[in-house]
Amino acid sequence: MQEVFIPVKSECFWDKRTEAMKEFNISWTPTLLVLDATGREHHRVVGFVPSDDFLAHLKLGQGKAHLDRFRFADALKEFTAVIEEHPMAGVIPEAVFFLGVAEYWNTHDPKGLRRAYDTLVARFPQSEWARRAGPYAQIPL
Amino acid sequence: MAEIKWEKDVQAALALAQKAHKPVYLDFWFEG
Repeated sequence: MQEVFIPVKSECFWDKRTEAMKEFNISWTPTLLVLDATGREHHRVVGFVPSDDFLAHLKLGQGKAHLDRFRFADALKEFTAVIEEHPMAGVIPEAVFFLGVAEYWNTHDPKGLRRAYDTLVARFPQSEWARRAGPYAQIPL
Repeated sequence: MAEIKWEKDVQAALALAQKAHKPVYLDFWFEG
């Protein structure tokens, strides 16, 4: 993890909130944040997650950081890594959705969005991400 | 797996992140 991220642990005190708790609006622990090098937040996880989910969240956060900064090819790599390396993780539907978004921005071909919709409806029909992708059902393949 | 060397100070970590061009993983925890 240290090869990719600068890891930080910040202890919370509820009777006297720390400056970091105030700065990042921490209302429960554990809270995991992925920040870019400028300190901007790109992903947040509130509550305990098991180790495989945790690693998937880190990669998803890294992908979202790339996406937010318009580094689409890098974002594609991270979202693909989440899906391929953590197939049982709870964040897979979100990673599939953002993979479609990154594919669209990377190529300006909307078929990536439609593929994301098809995958979500086929594999995660109960997921909110399948509903969020609903408008892409109209995109022809 | 190598032991993680955690930073404790957020601002110090952000300075390191800018220097190394790396993102930050920030873990808020409570010793309950």
